[in-house]
Amino acid sequence: MGSLFRSEKMTLCQLFLQSEASYAVVSELGELGIFQFKDLNMKVNAFQKKFVSEVRRCEEMERKLRYIEKEIKKEHLKIPDYGENPKAPAPKEMVDLEATFEKIESELREVNTNAEALKRNFLELTELREVLRKTQTFFTAQGQEMSNIVGEAQHALVHDEGTTSGQAVQLGFIAGVIPREKVPPFERMLWFACRGNVFLRYEEIQQSLEDPQTGEPKIKAVFMIFFQGEQLKARVKKICEGFKAALYPCPESSQERQEMFRGVTTRLEDLKTVLNQTEDHRRRVLVGAQKEIRSWIIKVEKIKAIYHTLNMFSFDISHNSLIAEGWCPIQSLEDVRRVLKDGEKLSGSTIPSILHPMKTHETPPTFFKTSRFTQGFQNIVNAYGIATYEEVNPAPYAIITFPFLFSVMFGDAGHGTLMFLFGLWMVLKEKSLLAAKSNNEIWNTFFGGRYIIMLMGLFSIYTGMIYNDAFSKSFNIFGSAWKSNYTEGDMMGDGETATLVFDPAKYYRDSTPYPFGIDPIWQSAKNKITFLNSFKMKMAVILGISQMLFGVCLSVFNHLHFKIVIAIFCEFLPELIFLLALFGYLIFMVYYKWLVFDVTQSGCAPALLIQYINMFMFKYDPPKSDCDVQATFYPNQQTIQTVFVIAAVASVPVLLLVKPFYLRSVHNKKVLAKNALGALSTDALIPNEHTSEQSTSKNVTHVETPSVSGEGSSDIEMGTQPPPAPEKDTNENGKSQSKQNGGDDMKDINLSVNNIEDTSAMVLAHDDDEEEFEFSEIFIEQAIHTIEFCLGCISHTASYLRLWALSLAHAQLSEVLWNMVLHIGLSMDLPYIGSLIIFAVWMAWANLTIAVLLVMEGLSAFLHTLRLHWVEFQSKFYRGEGYIFLPFSFKHILDIDSLDELK
Amino acid sequence: MMPELSFNIDHGYLEGLVRGFKCGILKQTDYLNLVQCETLEDLKLHLQSTDYGSFLANEPSPLSVSVIDDKMREKLVVEFQHLRNHCLEPLATFLDYITYSYMIDNIILLITGTLHQRPINELISKCHPLGSFEQMEAIHIASTPAELYNAVLVDTPLAPYFIDCISEQDLDEMNIEIIRNTLYKAYLEDFFNFCKNLGGATAEVMCEALAFEADRRAFIITINSFGTELSKEDREKLYPCCGNLYPDGLSKLAQAEDYDQVRQVAEYYASYKELFEGAGTNPGDKTLEDKFFEHEVKLMKHSFMHQFQFGVFYSYVKLKEQECRNIIWIGECVAQRHRAKIDSYIPIF
Repeated sequence: MGSLFRSEKMTLCQLFLQSEASYAVVSELGELGIFQFKDLNMKVNAFQKKFVSEVRRCEEMERKLRYIEKEIKKEHLKIPDYGENPKAPAPKEMVDLEATFEKIESELREVNTNAEALKRNFLELTELREVLRKTQTFFTAQGQEMSNIVGEAQHALVHDEGTTSGQAVQLGFIAGVIPREKVPPFERMLWFACRGNVFLRYEEIQQSLEDPQTGEPKIKAVFMIFFQGEQLKARVKKICEGFKAALYPCPESSQERQEMFRGVTTRLEDLKTVLNQTEDHRRRVLVGAQKEIRSWIIKVEKIKAIYHTLNMFSFDISHNSLIAEGWCPIQSLEDVRRVLKDGEKLSGSTIPSILHPMKTHETPPTFFKTSRFTQGFQNIVNAYGIATYEEVNPAPYAIITFPFLFSVMFGDAGHGTLMFLFGLWMVLKEKSLLAAKSNNEIWNTFFGGRYIIMLMGLFSIYTGMIYNDAFSKSFNIFGSAWKSNYTEGDMMGDGETATLVFDPAKYYRDSTPYPFGIDPIWQSAKNKITFLNSFKMKMAVILGISQMLFGVCLSVFNHLHFKIVIAIFCEFLPELIFLLALFGYLIFMVYYKWLVFDVTQSGCAPALLIQYINMFMFKYDPPKSDCDVQATFYPNQQTIQTVFVIAAVASVPVLLLVKPFYLRSVHNKKVLAKNALGALSTDALIPNEHTSEQSTSKNVTHVETPSVSGEGSSDIEMGTQPPPAPEKDTNENGKSQSKQNGGDDMKDINLSVNNIEDTSAMVLAHDDDEEEFEFSEIFIEQAIHTIEFCLGCISHTASYLRLWALSLAHAQLSEVLWNMVLHIGLSMDLPYIGSLIIFAVWMAWANLTIAVLLVMEGLSAFLHTLRLHWVEFQSKFYRGEGYIFLPFSFKHILDIDSLDELK
Repeated sequence: MMPELSFNIDHGYLEGLVRGFKCGILKQTDYLNLVQCETLEDLKLHLQSTDYGSFLANEPSPLSVSVIDDKMREKLVVEFQHLRNHCLEPLATFLDYITYSYMIDNIILLITGTLHQRPINELISKCHPLGSFEQMEAIHIASTPAELYNAVLVDTPLAPYFIDCISEQDLDEMNIEIIRNTLYKAYLEDFFNFCKNLGGATAEVMCEALAFEADRRAFIITINSFGTELSKEDREKLYPCCGNLYPDGLSKLAQAEDYDQVRQVAEYYASYKELFEGAGTNPGDKTLEDKFFEHEVKLMKHSFMHQFQFGVFYSYVKLKEQECRNIIWIGECVAQRHRAKIDSYIPIF
């Protein structure tokens, strides 16, 4: 318990790792995810770090894996996820992995180049076949003989100029294939370059051809170019080359063409079988890789992460060891020690790896152990700011207050049920939904808050029942405590004139009130809103002030924990008095009015607002009549109110002034004391303080590790000598074997356990001393805090009225939706056809309910709840100036779907 | 109306984008790290930690400088195409103008290549992808400038620039250079006028940049022409007439006969005087070319100080190009283990 209330205790540790053991240790720490390493090589270039060649090897492996993965995906094979979590392989196995990848990659590349060559061949043959087919049909259409074409082409080209017919011009032609999109520029270019002396015909190939390199389908066209003379032929060929058009030999006579066509077709058939065999082979290779690729990816990523971490360590050449620094929860220190031992065993090194907790003035990272359930609430708090180390965490309270305040605004049992069921579905299906790994951001947001949604739904059902509101309708379970005010005449009239205004004096049945929630009869009352407004507004104020009061009370735990006694008296108490005297009293008045004034006196009940204003103005007029709403309404009211106002006002200067001046006087005293000791002894003073601190710190470590030192194993103890430097004590030099003085240490422990408390207080005092004391800064900070608090109390109370406003808006919206949509459908008087219409109307109503009332209203209520927690509640005690604990962990590696994501 | 008011409606997104791209340009500290690299693998590792990201992740080792070059170029082209695909007029035309200079370079490269009987495929792969166009690959059918114009270039946006070159008789090396410079002159003048007509901050920034470009070309043409058969009259025709040198400086340049005379012309212009003074041919000195590049980088950086103008797009492309040159320089030095001159890259930020 307590893990969510405050951050886990963290400690800065140094790890002295033997080079051989370091890999295994880091790997195991990555699996556990309990250690956050600090980068000790920040200023070193990326390529000058120690393990850069290993990182590079990993990148090379990644590249190969990416290639294999791409090929697998190209083949439309799925990469299965068995949820396996292989450990990072030992460095020796890296070579095997590399060899495996190398083999698969080269095999794949070879198969691919073969396949590509075959495909190119296939493409060329297909194109040739198409060319032959098209030319054949073309020539058949134009007449069997070439000469006809020649004549015609000549006709077209020479424009009847050559009337000297019979002069057979030597017309040649070439045929080829070109991508369809290139045809127009190709044609134009031919025209320009040959001055219109060529004749181009082209026809599209119906089937799409596959590009051998990319495998993408391409649409191409067969073209034939007729020209005259060799020079033109050379030129045309050059253009074809420029446009990357494939030229194919095409015999001139029809018979030869047919023969060639047959030959090509048979060759194509042969090629197809060869191609199929290559494809099969390729597929076999890929299927083999497919099963393992995921675990390979995980392994490689783990290795890479380990080496990246090792690169953050500093290297001690003289001891051939690596020194790591980082943060670790004190609770997990044992785990880290165990890991170190395991690492030793694995690597077989004789020199032990050492864990050395260090004392530091750095603020440790904040770490809360969360479960699936609490994570969502912690996220809400973290989004505002990470808790300062060891301050009170609002998240455990948010588990109840968050859904509750939401439900006050969202109070509708029907909508709440839908929301609850949605949340419940997500919670129950958690595992399968998690495994599905959606990339949809909106869905992931909802899914991340599944427990919150479920609780919000549950609480909404509860408040919905208090409001007696489900889809804007009420349940009458226990029987209403009111009687109807309809008269016979009202019933006989058109009904519209009948007004259901409930006057409790007349229509209340004087029996027990409705046992749970609002009496259902209010649903049909004309003065429903007036009644509910008064109720909800007061409730909002009461809830708000209670929550703020709770927040102020929580601040005590911070003051107690950080041992700032002055803050309890000069911050917490004045705040409490201010809040209680002004706003606590308001709540009292509300309850008093509820309890004391019944219906018979309702006309003379005090007007709280005016009473409250008068309280501040000290205005107490004698009652003008028997029934003066401004008159005092209980004995000694004037005295009590006056005392409260004066107390509240008096607490403001206390809040503002005492703490800064107290701190200044403490500081001045210290300075005086130091000066009195003289310049000579100040130098001696600091180390003296440190020695006491040091010895206890040593003892602290002993207390935590009694078993280790007690066993007297080959453990090395640190810190028997106080370091001269007043900052971090990274005392590696003062090592001594614990075997020798292990017994003494045990005695020390018993002695020192008692005075740990005092010394830690001393350490704190000492800490304060080191910071520079700037009075103006502290004073301004306190002034801001005071103003913020006093004004905040007023504005925050008003802010809580949103509880009322949103709850009212939600109820009204759902009522409007009922009346304007479903009610119209229900009140139709049509036989048969009505059932169809009501179906459609119901659809509209249901959709609008989901979209507007559940999603939109739900989001808005959520946002307002968020604000109430962040601003109104947390501002009373939460600083949120910490930074989060990010342990080195392999967890995220398991979520990688494909290496492409990493790019 | 003030164009600044409505600038962001059409071009605000892209301007923001390009300013974001600009932040990815390597800083001095990055160069300091790159210079320390021992191998190209180190270079790759460091580039991975910059804005280039894992652009080399899929390249099998060993790495070569040309692969790095290709990939960097590819990245620039992807970014530029993204800008081009999302822009509206007149930014679209402006961006097209930027590509024209690459088209000119590509055409000249192809013609020279065919002149030396190189296979077209080899040449195509050397062309800058920003300046590629459909008809490019058919260039080698042309044997005279007139043919080149009629068959290939007539459909491209470069056609109007080419009209002045048609008279040239034969495609030899000299003529190709003349064609290149005539094309450039026409292109620069056209671009200059286009920017001037756009007005506003764009004209302010771009005219300065293009004027410098024009002047640089004039200086370089003059210096390179010494000792060749190019006559002074012909030379004068090649000077772009939109720079600060126009008209007095250009006519003086046309009369120049050696490097010192060019230098004297530059004396009249404060900014160029500085460049010529800093340049030298001794080892350890910066060459005039580097000086020009440095000045260009300075101009380009300044253009980012202005808002609501297109100059940032031009500047970004130019700066990125300079960055590519820098990285390639460092890469070559590293690959050839010739570290003496590794520091003569031109830092940008």
